[in-house]
Amino acid sequence: MKGGQVKGGRTRGGRLNAGLLAGGTLVGLVVLAALVSFFWTPHDPTLVDAAGKLREPGGGYPLGADKFGRDTFSQLMVGARTTLYVGVVAVGIAALAGVPLGVVAGMTPRGWLSELIMRVNDLVFAFPALLLAVMLGAVYGPGTLTAMIAIGVATVPAFARVARAATLQVMVTDYVLAARAAGRGRPAIAVRHVLPNIGSVLIVQASVSFAIAILAEAALSFLGFGTRPPTPSWGRMLQESQELLFSTPRLALWPGIAVAVAVLGFNLLGDGLRDYLDPKLRRIRAEG
Amino acid sequence: MRRIGIWIAAGGLLLATAACGGGGGGGGGTAATGRAQSLSVGAVAEPANLDFTSTEGAAIPQALLVNVYEGLVKLDQDGKIAPLLAEKWDVSDDRRTYTFTLRDNVTFSSGAPFTADDVVFSLDRVRSDWKLKIKTQLDAVEKTEKKDDSTVVVTLKRPSNGFLYSMATRLGAMFSRTGVADLANKPVGTGPYVLGAWRRGDSLRLDANPSYWGAKPPMPSVTLKYFKDATAMNNALLTGGIDVISSVQAPESLQQFADPARFETVEGSTNGEVVLSMNNSRPPFDDKKVRQAVRHAIDHKALLDTAWAGRGQLIGSMTPPTDPWYEDRTGDYPYDPAKARELLGGKTYEVTMRIPNLPYAVNSAQVVKSQLAQVGITAEIEPLEFPARWLDQVFTKADYHLSIINHVEPRDMGIFADKSYYFRYDNPEFGKLLASADAGTEQEQADDLKQAAKLLSEDAAADWLFLFPNLIVAKKGVTGLPKNAIAESFDFTALAKR
Repeated sequence: MKGGQVKGGRTRGGRLNAGLLAGGTLVGLVVLAALVSFFWTPHDPTLVDAAGKLREPGGGYPLGADKFGRDTFSQLMVGARTTLYVGVVAVGIAALAGVPLGVVAGMTPRGWLSELIMRVNDLVFAFPALLLAVMLGAVYGPGTLTAMIAIGVATVPAFARVARAATLQVMVTDYVLAARAAGRGRPAIAVRHVLPNIGSVLIVQASVSFAIAILAEAALSFLGFGTRPPTPSWGRMLQESQELLFSTPRLALWPGIAVAVAVLGFNLLGDGLRDYLDPKLRRIRAEG
Repeated sequence: MRRIGIWIAAGGLLLATAACGGGGGGGGGTAATGRAQSLSVGAVAEPANLDFTSTEGAAIPQALLVNVYEGLVKLDQDGKIAPLLAEKWDVSDDRRTYTFTLRDNVTFSSGAPFTADDVVFSLDRVRSDWKLKIKTQLDAVEKTEKKDDSTVVVTLKRPSNGFLYSMATRLGAMFSRTGVADLANKPVGTGPYVLGAWRRGDSLRLDANPSYWGAKPPMPSVTLKYFKDATAMNNALLTGGIDVISSVQAPESLQQFADPARFETVEGSTNGEVVLSMNNSRPPFDDKKVRQAVRHAIDHKALLDTAWAGRGQLIGSMTPPTDPWYEDRTGDYPYDPAKARELLGGKTYEVTMRIPNLPYAVNSAQVVKSQLAQVGITAEIEPLEFPARWLDQVFTKADYHLSIINHVEPRDMGIFADKSYYFRYDNPEFGKLLASADAGTEQEQADDLKQAAKLLSEDAAADWLFLFPNLIVAKKGVTGLPKNAIAESFDFTALAKR
């Protein structure tokens, strides 16, 4: 980590900053839409209504309807659910696999195990996630789960690398040396000292990875390898609106904005969290 | 943040390559004379190989039949049977013996002459080597004999109305005795075109056959460019990458081509029945009442309007309106969700709908799912890669409850008579009707086939969503486009470009 640089004094003492607020708000919007969609949407997002085909916005349909007469707003809400679902699972897979690998590699920096882990990581890192997802989709059939697994696996190296770098830093601190001198075993050190101290870095990584996963899911659904129809997905909404791009551009506009909002939100959140958490980390180090 | 940039770039690149798929190649080079030398036609569903004797699917005969392979007879634009490699034919009074007189001076593209031996070889080969389900259409053939080098006599077990018609389809394609070693890659036929180049995943180029026996086609070279994506195909036409969209896959987008100074649109009918197939051998669709409920539950007009922009026709059974015995059967199962629920008796079902990942199927499936949900049938949509995976799982193994596919073969009602066909429809009465239609007089044939279509509809052997339209968009100046696509092939021989 490059350490907690304090920009213009705004972030001193871990106070809320503009990025964090903006990111938190945007992400909050997406989460809220997703949560509300469990209980209520203005209309059934998958109900085909021929009479309402390409309905103009207004009259209970704030954003109009698509060529199947399905309410765009309701689809966006449920699409948020799909998006978050994919993000949570993909990032979860990546973190659950990547963090232990990174910590192990970081705690045995000169061992063969560390070498093995990091070289395999490099291999996976070199393989494009989209390609992996398309491949899995072709073999196992397209679906949200396939997409999530592919995106998750492809994100493992990012977590492993960040975890390893942070672990290396923690391992040379005085308190870890003290713990080792006191005869603490490696697992205990990992749980008691390493994980709590690299947590903030991982949270930042998670929010950035989340943004990447959202984009990847949208891209995969756009290509027909993601969420199955008719479950609303922003990527597939974009794809279905393609043929109407010249006549009804709003159908592409709204899911496009939704993807942009979610991605921007998670990125701002990641940046904000880094600024927010870094000084704290430094203070802990200073005190530790 | 940098990695995100890379992601966006990667996504953008994918889209860009999709959109540019139509660039390069094709485009129609114009020679100094001002006459176009080549023409490119956009199409979907690239064939997996070029052997339509062993591989199912419409894409292979679409490209090769009439253009590369010819039969003794062909279908003209009105659906009448016209001579091709046979100058004429005589039918005996008992309608069991057909004597074909072959055209002279016909050679295969390999240089081998076309003789009566090749006819005998080709027809025998249907029985011995072909792997297609539709080969049963020629079951009536008892034997094929060579009388002399230019005369062939085909003897039937029984009179068959379908025989000559089948001879105009891919089943009647003439192969060279020395040209079937590598059908999947090297087609050898007598047609006006030969295979120029096949770039897998991209395009198939046909060049004019310099030694063709008949009139030379106007276009020296025609390229079929394959698109996975409807929008990419549209863009290719808009930007001049292709000259013709052979089958519009995004009918909502037609207004892009509304400018009559630049584009021409041809709209007609096809033999393609978009069928909602139900696995008649697997619960719950082994129960006729459930199948009938499905037919009542679907609002076909709404489906056509939303899924395919209202282009196409509602049919209600397995006969297209271009067949002489067509009857409108759309009234058999009017849209009536209450009746459907009554037929289901309050039960609910969960089923899978395994569909090919083609636009008409994906669109229709979403409407079908929504409408079935209204009556208590939950259908999980599972798009399968087409053709390979769909053919394997649904068509070959019949591992499905519901599917949606466009059955494009002409006069293909007979597939329901085959118990092993993926519908798994089994009604001996239907088979009898077809047999009697095949053997009877013209009037009896029409009567029996009407009966058969009625029986299929009443049994709810499947549901017929709509008749696929022949929707072609071409650059202004392209001529020779077929209004009705009633044959299996996209006939290039009349295509021309100013």
